[in-house]
Amino acid sequence: MSVRRDLIESILEPGVFDRADPDIEAKQLEAAREVFAERRGQIGLLRRRAEEAGVDEIKSMRDLVPLLFAHTAYKSYPQSFIDQGRWDRMLQWMQTLSVDRTDNVNVDGVRGVDDWIDRLREGGHIVLATSGSSGKCSFLNHTRGDSAMKRRHASVAVGWPFVRGAKDRACFFLGPSEGPNSAIEASQNNAANFGRPGDVHFLTDEPLLISEVSRAAALRTRMADGTATPGEIEAFENEAREKAARMDAALDAMTESILARRHEPIYLTGMWAQHMMIIKRARKLGIPDGDFSPKCVVSAGGGVKGVSLPPDYKEQVAKFYGDVIRPTAYGMTEMAQMMPRCQCMRYHRPPGLIWLLLDASGERLLGPEDGPNGVVEGRFGFLDLIYEGRWGGLITGDKVTIDFAATCPCGRPGPTILDNITRFAQAGDDHIGCAGTIDSYIRSSLTE
Amino acid sequence: MNAPAPVPPLPVPHVVKGTTIFGNEQDYGRFATPKLNLDSMVWPRSEPAPAADVPVAEIIDVLVQTGERLTRDPDGALAEALERSVKSNPLPRDVLERSYASLGRIFNRAMMEFQIEQELGGADLIDGWREVATTSGRPARIRAFPTRLVHIIAGNAPGVAAQSVIRGALTKCVNLFKLPSNDLYSATAILRALSAVAPGHPIARSFSAAYWRGGDAAIEGMLFRPQFFDKIVAWGGESTIRGALKYVGPGFELVAFDPKTSISMIGREAFASEETLDEVATRGAFDATVMNQQACTSSRFQFIEGTVEQVDRYCAKLQAKLGEERPTSSSTPIPLPSNIRDELDGLRAFEDDYRVFGGYEGRGLVVRSDAPVDFYPDNKIVNVVRVADLRDAVRHVSVATQTVGVYPAARRTELRDALCSAGTQRVVALGLAQPESGLPHDGFYPLHRFVRWVTDEGGNN
Repeated sequence: MSVRRDLIESILEPGVFDRADPDIEAKQLEAAREVFAERRGQIGLLRRRAEEAGVDEIKSMRDLVPLLFAHTAYKSYPQSFIDQGRWDRMLQWMQTLSVDRTDNVNVDGVRGVDDWIDRLREGGHIVLATSGSSGKCSFLNHTRGDSAMKRRHASVAVGWPFVRGAKDRACFFLGPSEGPNSAIEASQNNAANFGRPGDVHFLTDEPLLISEVSRAAALRTRMADGTATPGEIEAFENEAREKAARMDAALDAMTESILARRHEPIYLTGMWAQHMMIIKRARKLGIPDGDFSPKCVVSAGGGVKGVSLPPDYKEQVAKFYGDVIRPTAYGMTEMAQMMPRCQCMRYHRPPGLIWLLLDASGERLLGPEDGPNGVVEGRFGFLDLIYEGRWGGLITGDKVTIDFAATCPCGRPGPTILDNITRFAQAGDDHIGCAGTIDSYIRSSLTE
Repeated sequence: MNAPAPVPPLPVPHVVKGTTIFGNEQDYGRFATPKLNLDSMVWPRSEPAPAADVPVAEIIDVLVQTGERLTRDPDGALAEALERSVKSNPLPRDVLERSYASLGRIFNRAMMEFQIEQELGGADLIDGWREVATTSGRPARIRAFPTRLVHIIAGNAPGVAAQSVIRGALTKCVNLFKLPSNDLYSATAILRALSAVAPGHPIARSFSAAYWRGGDAAIEGMLFRPQFFDKIVAWGGESTIRGALKYVGPGFELVAFDPKTSISMIGREAFASEETLDEVATRGAFDATVMNQQACTSSRFQFIEGTVEQVDRYCAKLQAKLGEERPTSSSTPIPLPSNIRDELDGLRAFEDDYRVFGGYEGRGLVVRSDAPVDFYPDNKIVNVVRVADLRDAVRHVSVATQTVGVYPAARRTELRDALCSAGTQRVVALGLAQPESGLPHDGFYPLHRFVRWVTDEGGNN
């Protein structure tokens, strides 16, 4: 078996996060060497990057730095291809980022982007889509095998070190049950790992449609070029409001059963605003703070943009659920192996995930010598060794602090990421120029 | 691996009502400024603006002398500002050197007189009251009255600071400049020269310049009030305008130099001969590289009539010329932002539809396509878009389209009304994207917007 396989498989070893592997760095380097040697012949963009950077082989972790893709690589297709339904061209684009051939996908009669994603999935290309603030979607390919490995990883990492999924809980996910999006995929994985069959509840079975995101983007484009009419914009906004009202009604219904079963060890995931709605209902019913079973697993997250919440919403949610299990992990759509947080509020590294801490510009690899006592701040990059379907190397916009110490304060082996992750500000926050576009002003009327 | 040695923060002086203030109490990491004294940043409303009664002719004299001093730079203050700008401004050294060398020439007497004539309607209106004949016969006089301005200036060209000083001075306004972090030195260098040629002069006392972090509510929330200022003159990007909008209300008005994009339109006449095509590419490159393509007037999209083969020839010529040195452009390569590299790599999958000319080394790059690219071409990148007819390109124009350069020049007449109807503010012959003083900017006359138009009505008995 290859070193890479060994590392990935070791997630199943009992106490994988508890035992130090003195050779981990050398093994990770060897695994990176392996996976690059294989992928460079398979993925067009990786080959191009390697040629430009003059990297033939991974001899040190530094060689990986120029090979990391930014998230923008996964949305580098021309939007007009989607607007004009040129799905064959989209497949051609997807090919440059994928290992498996995408020409096995039949795009005859594809009616929209959701259709296209479905066809890709039928062809074994499990595409996840994200919608950035620009309105242009990213599309990330992976294989069915990658999906299964992701689920397997989640079975160990989600809940660690407090609880492990045993398929024995009532689960409530305050979102859709279907859709090509990583949050939904995570819910599905957690449902499979934690849920008692037949007792898993999603807010809605209305699938998340990427076309809705794209439609909003297309409307924004037409607003920018002045061809959208006020009536169209109004209709669009009304539709969004109606959908929100439907979701609120569904949440009301689900709230009743969540509250009714609060003394059971349920699993509950929702966005901050949804938790606040549950609290509101609980107050009406006279349910006090801290009245949930301590075995409940509760997580909250999501953006709060455009939602009016009291300033202390996090404290209110914490107080309401009280002493429940609150597992947290650091991950992202592009990553298969999320990093769970320990009791000491630090994120731990799975053996199959290579961390690459970079300087702010993303050009130089940082190490323990770049900060006081081996605690170093930088831009987070990584190579996720799981992926068979695409290149797992990514540079993020996240500013993280890594403690390179061999031991975490929790006693387990390091290195660890501190719980102070923020975003790198856009270059030149306070740089003022007279050049630019007004797209964001047009956008804001639809998103706020 | 060695950690880089810590670099001491660059000192950034402030100017308070004509007096230069040195200090480094406020550390911003890369640079440090004196501590901000908010009380000294406002001019009490109980007193008229210091220069209100100074004849504009005298102000122009002072400005001309300021320009001469900037050109001579007898004490090396401008040279010092240049050296520090080189360390803190994203523009390359040679562009900054040439911009600083030409700063003095902006303070040109004829140009300033033209501005007053064009933008206000005459010096008498700013110096005193002009009689107007009303239709009812009511005696009336009008005057362009000085106001209190806080300027959020742009830092993508040192000329912005110079123009802002000139505009603020010609209108006799009181002016507080908020310095941008990409140009921490030009405004103060100009104001120091102004104070040097006219120490204590009312016009020198009409200016302050300081840095604070844009959007700092503790400072902006205090200063941006109608009690202290009448107008906020805001240049540029989204965060600036959004920041300013928070404070705008009755008595506190926004004068916005909005973010703008500029384009070119090139007719099939460009392919008349190889020499013509060369000439057109030279002009196209000139317009695309104004301030290394950091200016609002710099062309980013060029719509062109021609066959794929013809347009590719234009693209190749244009690409070669983007990297050449010009007065406001450098031959120093500019690193390609990674997001644009990602976009280009994506487009390379479609080499028939999207052809990329030039490499990623930052010497200029052209993308030829049949529809505008999704990204914002920047750092010497031009998207050349093939159209059947230049009129088809008008649909890509919006109120954010500032300058449209047209070739051949004669085709401006067929296009200009449609362009302006779609939002364009400026139609020029290709090659003339560099702005001209005294003409409207972004669809308005700045001097006209800076002043308050007041009236005095009725006879004397």
